[in-house]
Amino acid sequence: MSLIKRSRNRRRLRSVLRRGHLSVALVAVVLASLSLTLLGILALKVYADHNLHLIARAINYTVEAAVVFDDKTAASEALAMIASTEAVAEAKIYNVEGELLAYWRRPESGFLSRVEMLLANGLLEQPISVPIEHQGKQVGAVIVSGHGANVLRFLLSGLFGVIVCTALSAWSALYLSRRLLNGITGPLHKLAEVAHAARSERAFNRRVPSAQIAEMDSLGNDFNALLDELESWQSHLKSENQALAHKASHDSLTNLPNRAYFAARLARTLRSTNPANDKVAVLFLDSDRFKNINDTYGHAAGDAVLVAVATRVRAQLREDDVVARFGGDEFAILLAPLYHVEDAQRIADKIIVSMQEPVELPGHINIVTSLSIGIAVYPEHGATPDLLLCAADAAMYQAKRLARGGQHLAESEYSPTPLLPGA
Amino acid sequence: MDVAVSSTEQRFGGWLRCLSLCLLLFSTPCLAQPDASVNLADQRAKAVTQVVLGILSYARWPAEPAQLELCVIGPTEYTDDLLKGTTQSSGRPVHVTRLLANNPAIATACHAVYLGKLSTEERTYVFDILAGQAVLSISEEVSQCTVGSLFCLNVRDDQVAFEVNLDSVARSGVRIHPSVLQLSRRRVAQP
Repeated sequence: MSLIKRSRNRRRLRSVLRRGHLSVALVAVVLASLSLTLLGILALKVYADHNLHLIARAINYTVEAAVVFDDKTAASEALAMIASTEAVAEAKIYNVEGELLAYWRRPESGFLSRVEMLLANGLLEQPISVPIEHQGKQVGAVIVSGHGANVLRFLLSGLFGVIVCTALSAWSALYLSRRLLNGITGPLHKLAEVAHAARSERAFNRRVPSAQIAEMDSLGNDFNALLDELESWQSHLKSENQALAHKASHDSLTNLPNRAYFAARLARTLRSTNPANDKVAVLFLDSDRFKNINDTYGHAAGDAVLVAVATRVRAQLREDDVVARFGGDEFAILLAPLYHVEDAQRIADKIIVSMQEPVELPGHINIVTSLSIGIAVYPEHGATPDLLLCAADAAMYQAKRLARGGQHLAESEYSPTPLLPGA
Repeated sequence: MDVAVSSTEQRFGGWLRCLSLCLLLFSTPCLAQPDASVNLADQRAKAVTQVVLGILSYARWPAEPAQLELCVIGPTEYTDDLLKGTTQSSGRPVHVTRLLANNPAIATACHAVYLGKLSTEERTYVFDILAGQAVLSISEEVSQCTVGSLFCLNVRDDQVAFEVNLDSVARSGVRIHPSVLQLSRRRVAQP
């Protein structure tokens, strides 16, 4: 339960890296732009203060004569002329007695000008007061407060710049991280794919392609080497298994299937055969003089005879027919499919004939051997593998009794009698 | 050219205004009338003094005198305050003397003349003497400006205005600060 939860909480490498890149880029941009904006505001404040003083001084020079002559109209006109073209929100001119001579105020234009005023009041040291002097003596004062249109414009453009820079850096961070990621996750993905295929499908033949990053490449190479070892081990194991399986089901001398293999094959054939249409023949073969050869010429000669017999029998059969060595000098043949009983008898005759040629033994000795063959046909002589084999065995003894080196077909339904030991 | 000078609030403006307001409130109109006229004359005299001193402060003579000699010539209406003598804001004292119109010393003893009501002969005599001299002339009457005076006062109820005769200014050799001329131009352009 907790394992599932943990794996759900686990994030992908791609998202981890991307989030890391993004946050680094955003933090850098925000910090840089914040510090730049702060510096800019500081510089702007200095310049705005200076500008306001310059405006005040310009007003001062212009209205000086008007103040000396106490001319309200002239003062108002001069004040309006300057203040209307500069960043002035409100300006007042007093004479030396403190009487208001002229007053100018920028017309309010809605919300924006209120924001500008708030900004200017917050940022600038205003209103500023500059004395009007004439011949070294103060004759009045100019009081000016600026409006923050420039500051507002700077802040808005700064904000816009921050947003644009943030978007740009986010985009470039994502772009770069994607490029970086393709270099990292691409090989990792391939590696994971190959590992998964090797684990689930035993596909040890697949290899991890080379990567551009050195660590990834060496990881892939090591993995490939591991796969090489696994593959060779696997193929070795397989061939060993095959050899063992072959050994278990075959006779090592003649390389023919053994009794167990034959029994299994017979049972399978009988299961898949329809008794109404098809027939299956089982032939039981026994060498007539094998014990004599063994005793006379030695076991090596016996083995040579057995190999020769096996080769000759095999040569008489179709590809799908099975010939097995049951042990000693006993062989069995499975003929399937079989269409006529006579076909089985003809094959038996051919085998007997093929034995007439002498077998060359080591030491340039030629001997002639013969086989006695018992034939049992399914379903006439037995419905089960055991019954068929017994019927064929009995028929073979019958043949041996009648004439050595002949063949005999089992008679009618086989009645089970105790099996006699091999000849 | 007119330069208006408000006369409502001057050096004693604060308490004066208070007083006049009290008088206006608590006295009958017939009682208030002479007081008001007395105050008005006083205010005008002060306003005239301010304008004259203002003009003097914006004027430059070829040789700057250590003490400015202002001569009042002929019968005048608003010089009561001026005649007390004063000091410019630069610290230079202004010495005010009354002279007769036929006094030949006008050309040498005065840096500036304040002309009152003069007959045509007297005026001609004075301007003849002053011709070619660096003397700043201020007339109390508006009409005088066309005849040769540099500045002419136009004393009205609420303010004292003045005009400038630029030709006379150019001829006199006394330099007048552009601010004053600019005020004049403004007045001309906006009659």
